[in-house]
Amino acid sequence: MNKVILASGAALMLAMGAAQTPALAQEKTLTISVYALAQDEYKQIVYDPFQKICGCKLVVETGNSVERLAKMEANKANPVVDMAVISMADALAASRAGLIDKVDTSKISNFGKLYDIAKDPNGDGMSVGYTFYATSIAYRSDKMKIDSWADLLKPEYASHVAWPNVTTNQGPPALYMLGLALAKDTPDLKAPIEAVGAKKGEIVTFYEKSSQLVQLMQQEEIWAAPIGRFTWAPFTKLGFPIAWAMPKEGQTGGMNVMTVTKGSKNRDLALQFMDFWLSTEVQTKLAEKLIDSPSNKDVKLSEALANNLTYGEETAKSLKLIPSAVALDNRAGWIKTWNEKVGQ
Amino acid sequence: MFQNRAEALALALPAAIFAAAVFLVPVVILLSDGFRVPTGGWTISAYTDFFSNSLNQTVFLRTLRLGAIVTIASAVIGYAAAFAIVSLEPGAKGKVTGLVVLPLMISPVARTYAWIVILGRTGIVNQAFQALGITEAPLRILFSETAIFIGLLQLFLPLMIISLISALENMPKDAIPAARVLGANWFQVFWKVILPLTKEGLVIGGTLVFTGSLTAYITPAILGGSKVLMLETLLYQQVAVSNNFVAASVIAFILIVMSFAANILLKRVATARNKQRSQA
Repeated sequence: MNKVILASGAALMLAMGAAQTPALAQEKTLTISVYALAQDEYKQIVYDPFQKICGCKLVVETGNSVERLAKMEANKANPVVDMAVISMADALAASRAGLIDKVDTSKISNFGKLYDIAKDPNGDGMSVGYTFYATSIAYRSDKMKIDSWADLLKPEYASHVAWPNVTTNQGPPALYMLGLALAKDTPDLKAPIEAVGAKKGEIVTFYEKSSQLVQLMQQEEIWAAPIGRFTWAPFTKLGFPIAWAMPKEGQTGGMNVMTVTKGSKNRDLALQFMDFWLSTEVQTKLAEKLIDSPSNKDVKLSEALANNLTYGEETAKSLKLIPSAVALDNRAGWIKTWNEKVGQ
Repeated sequence: MFQNRAEALALALPAAIFAAAVFLVPVVILLSDGFRVPTGGWTISAYTDFFSNSLNQTVFLRTLRLGAIVTIASAVIGYAAAFAIVSLEPGAKGKVTGLVVLPLMISPVARTYAWIVILGRTGIVNQAFQALGITEAPLRILFSETAIFIGLLQLFLPLMIISLISALENMPKDAIPAARVLGANWFQVFWKVILPLTKEGLVIGGTLVFTGSLTAYITPAILGGSKVLMLETLLYQQVAVSNNFVAASVIAFILIVMSFAANILLKRVATARNKQRSQA
């Protein structure tokens, strides 16, 4: 009996050891940390072709920003991830925490093709924008008229509006634009949060995930919601007259960026991968699948595709983005004020 | 079955080690975060900070209230349903019990999303109310405590019914006729005969429903959203948005304490009733 147990144990340990042994000991490995969305398309358009080009193995880690940044922080002394794509504000947070390094743009041949706003979004040389998006209001044009961000809080409209929670990526930008509409655009967002708080009983919901909005719009539970352009396409297929607002205060938005982990042992490979992702061909394919709006200005899209994305130099220039430092330094305060005025 | 206790323990050891490694140790580490001072030592300041915040107080009381209301409502409906089911012929009883269990085989996500369609402004509830002239305009039911209550009740009612069916089947068949012959009305029959004889089922069902209501995440998140925060949705917010594991640890500990307290309380109530009866 004991012999059988020992033999089984030995076999198990050997099997576990074998599982841990790379198929090719010399094979280069690049570990990337990305958002979980559209991974099948990314695999087809970005990951698999790059693996063929570099002759390396790509290890993909997915998750939301908080999880992924927490993991990078935990492995700071011995980084696992070589390259991460995160939001502009998270890139600044990572930079302040000493998790990322300067991006050597001289090794990125496609760098010159990027829109200016994407070249160094935080002005610290630590990140490069690979996609950006506009944030405005999707609304039922047969039920309401939107000329200003403040129109969402009109008595006749508020009870048909879903507002993004302050904890979402769309929350602070939408509040920032409301602040502009109220002529009270202080970094603490106090006035717009109070204005939303005054209408909290009427507002249908403070959404956490934009995916739920399509169903709410379909059921006519809501007529309007501030959304990112990347979620616009499903609304156009609902069969309702839904329009993308062009408020007089303008549109806001956000940008996702690429970063290189501090202490990465595969820095050059990471830069090569970034260069590939920023190439006109890859950015075009990702845009055609309606996954990412291109930050590469050489990407040319049909009008139909462009209508579903945030596209073109003029659009890129017109976006009123919250500076990362403002977002980072005020985030805790925003949540605190929001919980006081809206959350209860 | 086993020649000695050691042999039985040896067989249980791998499972115990596995459970300790992947469940017990991480839970202890997580919960200790709420009491640990980063510079060393122990403190309860995370708990005092948590309860001194008015939002947290509101969320805590709402979670407690909804858990209690869902448990009471499921007990009331559960007794009626279980009583009707045990009164059926054996064949029909099996079929109806199967129907009670059926929703448990469907994902809570699907069951909860169905409520969005049912309770919405254009949903069947509002359509029925307006057709019957009960309301003129659609009611706002979604994203409210009412919506969460309905969702949680539908989610956990089967557990209460099953627990009570089992308890009622173990009750002496002549207990109710005997009470009726002695002049008890139906309320007295329930209060003085059925309830004491089915208390174990009520305790088990009550604990399952209350604990489930406290810890369910999907239903409050979908039907209440961030407009009607519960402890479980607040916990998620603290972890996934604020990266505040200390606050998350505090909330997790509070939820565990609430679950144990509910179980102890229900057992106490049942034991107290037993003592009263034995002294009478």
